[in-house]
Amino acid sequence: MAHLVPTGPIPASAGIGLRFPHHRVVAEDKPAIAWLEVHPENYMGGGKPLEYLDAIRRSYPISLHGVGLSLGSADGVDERHLARLQRLVERVEPGLVSEHLSWSAIGGSHLADLLPLPYTEEALGGLCRNIELVQERLKRTILVENPSTYLRYRHSTIPEWEFMAAVAAHTGCGILCDVNNIYVSACNHGFDALRYLHALPREAVGEIHLAGHTLRKFDDGRSIRIDDHGSRVCPDVWSLYAQAVEHFGRVPTLIEWDTDVPPITVLLEEAERAEGILDAELVDVSAA
Amino acid sequence: MSALLELQQAFVASLLCEADRAVHDRIIGDGLAAAERLRIYRNTFISTLTAALRMTYPAVDRLVGREFFDAAAEQLIHAHPPSSAYLNEYGEAFADFLAAFEPARTLPYLPDVARFEWALSAAANASDVPPLTAEALATIDPAHHAALRFEPHPSVRVLALDYPADQIADAVTSGNQAAMAEVDLSNGPLGLVVHRGANGVESQRLTPEAFIFVSRLCAGEPLARLLQDAPTDAPAVIAEQLTKGRLAAFRIQQGKSL
Repeated sequence: MAHLVPTGPIPASAGIGLRFPHHRVVAEDKPAIAWLEVHPENYMGGGKPLEYLDAIRRSYPISLHGVGLSLGSADGVDERHLARLQRLVERVEPGLVSEHLSWSAIGGSHLADLLPLPYTEEALGGLCRNIELVQERLKRTILVENPSTYLRYRHSTIPEWEFMAAVAAHTGCGILCDVNNIYVSACNHGFDALRYLHALPREAVGEIHLAGHTLRKFDDGRSIRIDDHGSRVCPDVWSLYAQAVEHFGRVPTLIEWDTDVPPITVLLEEAERAEGILDAELVDVSAA
Repeated sequence: MSALLELQQAFVASLLCEADRAVHDRIIGDGLAAAERLRIYRNTFISTLTAALRMTYPAVDRLVGREFFDAAAEQLIHAHPPSSAYLNEYGEAFADFLAAFEPARTLPYLPDVARFEWALSAAANASDVPPLTAEALATIDPAHHAALRFEPHPSVRVLALDYPADQIADAVTSGNQAAMAEVDLSNGPLGLVVHRGANGVESQRLTPEAFIFVSRLCAGEPLARLLQDAPTDAPAVIAEQLTKGRLAAFRIQQGKSL
């Protein structure tokens, strides 16, 4: 393996999620963007993807945003997956590593989706143990992202925002505050998005995510918001983002787009808009 | 059993089999019923995995059409859900599944096309290992040649197919109607070796003799035994595997019966 220098820390600016369709344009044209985030699951083999990542990390700070650790699984995290992630972290030396407050796998079946946890003391305990194991193995703290959810469990006893805060307090992990997810879940379940934002411990928030979602309408007039990352950030989420920046200060912010990925110029435009909102906020928490 | 473990098992059972409703009682059904809420998760997980399978099996997708592919993929996913989050590893069971899939019976070559595409995908995603060089081989004491065993590069797949699946896959993915018309299904069985070299993934047809020889070479048989009943051009075949980067390492195993 070529000897690589560590990528820099993630700046408190706007970055974009890098997906395969943009590998070449980013590696060759090096568009002006402060940082990039990738899913480690796309780089766990060899060949072309890893070649691109090695090339791209020489020019940009990189964040690894996992979707496969299944931190909420009652039977623990998959050792093989953790080992693969660890190898990639050692190779890329990313500025940030993050995962989700969700689960995907049980009993050896991996369902490739971010499934909702019940917010109970038991789930909190299991999640914290899994996060601690991951942090120990990766020799660093990770950020944990709040999910978009389409259901709630009857036996949940803790509001999601308190659950998020408790996870950070118990494990020392940071919070990846996905503003779009807060908005989607708030609409779907009828809670106050701003109250959620204000309940998160400011010092723990190390990154913000922004993305588009879809309003799915049923014939009888009912509707639900689906977090499909397939469009521009909607106006309500931009307003909530401005409030988040006002509350948390300047935090690295990422534009995510996974469905029908558009030309990179669209992502750069969205990032520029986020940058404008960050610039309006003078407090730089990373410098505090 | 822990309440969380029980819930997660019931949730998975419901996603894999809609008729399993044990988890419904645990879900608040205001506005949308539990079944409708779970269907959102089911749709996401099926469409994510179907998209992953379509990336791996583009020729199968074109041969059967989108609707057929989606239906076959959904059945495969229910029968064989992924065992890890590394989805490049997912879908090896598709060829055998298609071989037993009643609606695919009229396309007897389909499982072989899937086998071929799986080999391409496995080769593309195999871990990075530097290939064995002629210089490294030249350092071996000739006295040890008889006990020499080779290890294939992790990207190497040797395939024995009944149908010319390589030709079918190339023609269908390039949309070349003329090439498709030229496919002669009686042109088989055939032996292929697929690997990822300096120029990317390539596949090569081998003569029956060379196929058997390369299969044994890649299985790590010692050189002395390999050469006992080898084709006359065996040295050239070994040299070709070396220059193409299909060999990753060697070891010298002494004191074993050959």
